[in-house]
Amino acid sequence: MVLVLALGDLHIPHRAADLPPKFKSMLVPGKIQHIICTGNLCIKEVQDYLKTLCPDLHITRGEYDEETRYPETKMLTIGQFKLGLCHGHQVIPWGDLDSLAMLQRQLDVDILVTGHTHQFTAYKHEGGVVINPGSATGAYSSITYDVNPSFVLMDIDGLRVVVYVYELIDGEVKVDKIDFKKTATTTHSAH
Amino acid sequence: MSKDIAKEEAPSSSGVAPSESPTFASLRGVQWRINLGILPRSSSIDDLRRVTADSRRRYAGLRRQLLVDPHVPKNGASNPPNPVMDNPLSQNPDSTWSRFFRNAEMEKMVNQDLSRLYPEHESYFLTPGCQGMLRRILLLWCLRHPECSYRQGMHELLAPLMYVLHIDIESLSEVRKLYEDQFIEKFDGFPFEENGDAYNFDFKKFSDSLEDEIGSQGNAKKVCSLNDLDPEIQAIVLLSDAYGAEGELGIVLSEKFMEHDAYCMFDALMTGARGSVAMADFFASSPAAEFQSGLPPVIEASAALYHLLSIVDSSLHTHLVELGVEPQYFALRWLRVLFGREFSLQNLLVIWDEIFSEDNSPLNKVSKDSDYFSFKLEDSFRGGLIAAMAVSMILSLRSSLLATETATSCLQRLLKFPESINLKKLMEKAKSLQILALESNKAPFSSAFGGVYKCKKSPTNSLNVPSGLGSLKNNRSLLPDRYWEEKWRVQHKAEELRQNSLGKHPPSGKKRWVERIKFRLSRTESAPSPARNEKCKKEHHSIRRCLLEDLTKQLGLEDVAENGGCFEDSNLEDHHSVEVQGEGQNSANKGSIATIDDRCENGSGAVVSEEKSFFPDPPIPPGCSINDHEIYSEKSSPASNLSVDDNGDPRGRSPGDLPHRVSLPSDDVSHSPLHENESSGKTSSTKERRNLSGKFQWFRKYGRSNVNEETSDKHGGINEAAKPPVHDSKCSTADSSVAGTSCNSHPTGKGDTMDQNMMGTLKNLGQAMLEHIQVLESVFQQNQGQVGSLDNSSRNILVGKEQVTAITSLKELRKMSNLLSEM
Repeated sequence: MVLVLALGDLHIPHRAADLPPKFKSMLVPGKIQHIICTGNLCIKEVQDYLKTLCPDLHITRGEYDEETRYPETKMLTIGQFKLGLCHGHQVIPWGDLDSLAMLQRQLDVDILVTGHTHQFTAYKHEGGVVINPGSATGAYSSITYDVNPSFVLMDIDGLRVVVYVYELIDGEVKVDKIDFKKTATTTHSAH
Repeated sequence: MSKDIAKEEAPSSSGVAPSESPTFASLRGVQWRINLGILPRSSSIDDLRRVTADSRRRYAGLRRQLLVDPHVPKNGASNPPNPVMDNPLSQNPDSTWSRFFRNAEMEKMVNQDLSRLYPEHESYFLTPGCQGMLRRILLLWCLRHPECSYRQGMHELLAPLMYVLHIDIESLSEVRKLYEDQFIEKFDGFPFEENGDAYNFDFKKFSDSLEDEIGSQGNAKKVCSLNDLDPEIQAIVLLSDAYGAEGELGIVLSEKFMEHDAYCMFDALMTGARGSVAMADFFASSPAAEFQSGLPPVIEASAALYHLLSIVDSSLHTHLVELGVEPQYFALRWLRVLFGREFSLQNLLVIWDEIFSEDNSPLNKVSKDSDYFSFKLEDSFRGGLIAAMAVSMILSLRSSLLATETATSCLQRLLKFPESINLKKLMEKAKSLQILALESNKAPFSSAFGGVYKCKKSPTNSLNVPSGLGSLKNNRSLLPDRYWEEKWRVQHKAEELRQNSLGKHPPSGKKRWVERIKFRLSRTESAPSPARNEKCKKEHHSIRRCLLEDLTKQLGLEDVAENGGCFEDSNLEDHHSVEVQGEGQNSANKGSIATIDDRCENGSGAVVSEEKSFFPDPPIPPGCSINDHEIYSEKSSPASNLSVDDNGDPRGRSPGDLPHRVSLPSDDVSHSPLHENESSGKTSSTKERRNLSGKFQWFRKYGRSNVNEETSDKHGGINEAAKPPVHDSKCSTADSSVAGTSCNSHPTGKGDTMDQNMMGTLKNLGQAMLEHIQVLESVFQQNQGQVGSLDNSSRNILVGKEQVTAITSLKELRKMSNLLSEM
């Protein structure tokens, strides 16, 4: 039973000062096994903070990140699932499902996590899931009005993943749950 | 169909103590289950089987209920869990996820312990199957009893229980091999002719087979041959019969249900099964409500051990108490794991046989008399045997314990119980002591908890003592009263003597000094030792500030009145040194007061010089634990006595004597045992700082008060009297190097004029101050290094803060010394 935290687009310190205190109180070290971060942290201090929550930290580069050595995309396997990570500003049109699906096929992953739009979305698409955890700090965005702070926690258990979405709406933390079961691995016939 | 087993006599089994109950002597698992109260002591196999089955059902239900899978919704998930409440990051303690995480933490602890369980028997204990079972049992028990969650040591109680069951299974399989025909069901010898038309019924054959059928179902299987068996084997057969009462669930010796049985045994052992001795109490850290004393049960039980020991062998008891060996240092482990760590597994099984065979029902001898106290441990036969066992173990080490002079080596002997011991003798002794233990379960309060209250771990303990224990407190406070009264009288007498010898000593200063001593003593009278420390500290702290101002005034005054300055110094020294003895060094007081007496009696005489001792009591090496009062006083008193003797020598002795004397106490002090006493470490380090500040106070206060009074006689007398105390006070410290140098730096001219003397001494004052400051600073650095090695981080913080204050006072001292040296 693996807990994976997905978040991104914090834009600290340029657009936001810190995570909302309610989120911070929930993020306690010891519970989460992996953290995947879509990008735009932007400074190293944020990376250090995330490291304290969990030592296994994966970050991809957003366009405002000051650390230039993060990769553009990242792939990892957790349990039975393959996860893909990318910031999303590279995929145009930004936030478009079909383009993201293209990326998902490219990376050959079951779960694709991207950001940049600062809006939480989760699509089940073609046997896979495309998740956008939104902005954890609620930083303003050039393409979205009305940004709510949000992040995603995935509970990967065998062939099943439960996606918990935490959103801060009107000062209250709202939690939503999405279940997703992976179909047994099908062998693709080679062309 | 019940078979009367009670008729079976005890088969002779391998060297087990003869008083075993007849049945199941070789089946420890079953025997223990009976003794622990899980299985009834009834004679019928059926009863046994039924009770076994019930207990197993209970465990299975518990297991299903408590092992939480957060994915599986509770209660059949009629209501889908609210995601806001039930998400993994939920802070809500009731959510399934929180419970899951809590259980995960406990599991981590359990795993850690289990991986280190009985490495010498790893062939059994470290197999994953066994480990899994142990883990589940421990987790379930701890979940069931959340008030005492998992503590280290519980796994060691569980392991032998499991082992015993395992051995039973093994013996069962042995028996199976030997007596195969009893166990397997053979029908092949009696063929039924399966021809359809004729019902060829061979009655003879049928009756034979029927007999076999009956035999295989009931207990009277092949009656003749079963009865012919050894009763032991018979028992095994009957217990493991798959067709007996309750079917398979009732097989008393069953591998499949080993976990269930072990859980039941563990539960019975821990909760005491309505008996008097419950092991779970020993794991509790807080005092239980129903206990008479305000102490945690294990401390109380350790006190019970010492109480019994004092009755049996008072010399050994006093020896141990003198050394400061608290019973719980070793008894904690002994009691919590029921001697599991002191003996090999086989020996342990023998011991536990004995212990479990004793009845655990409370004898209710707990007296309501407030003057007396009864230990709960000794309130049942089983508890009495446990206490007796522990005492006999201590007695077996008697010679080596009496031979040791320090507490650490004593503890080493006790904690590393020798491998090769005559177990039989030990147990016989324990049996004989058991009766004594039960009868003597009435102890006057003062003696019962003498050691415990003397070295209280935290001041709050004394506050937690319930009012029912008022008499105990009174008893304890009586002792300190007398002790401190005595000291005060001694000091007062010394003071009078000094007064006489010094002639016109300013009464006001004297009075103030006397008042101060009284004040300090009265403050220290009424409270147990750690509170004493606290109060002394507070006292010093409060006057420290006003005395800082005094010091600056004094410095100003020194310029004005040379003579006065001289007296200041002398008086300061005098009171300074006396103050040293009157200081919070409770233990050192004894030795120092003796020296005051002697010094005063020395009377007038030539004065060698005015000696300056600014820090007669620099911080004790950080490793020394001040709370070891007895030890410290022992060491310091020979040292100070030595110094007294030296004082009687002619004046012209060389300063070389001094370093010698000083080295002696330093050695002794360094040998004092390093006890793991957290608060004492704290108080000792704080005490060091306070002592320093205390020196300042005295110095300044009496300098100021005595500025305007003098006579030359007084001066001489004071000097004379001051010098030896200064020597002594120096001796009672461990600061040889500084003492040596300051000694050497003193001018020895006796007949110098006052002025010269004074100037010289002032200069020396400054020099000595500087030296002392340097020493102190180096000790601080040392301390810092030492502090880093201490494992209590809060201590570090505390010491750090005090270091800062002490360093600031050091800086002020530097200024003073500069001033003085300029003069």
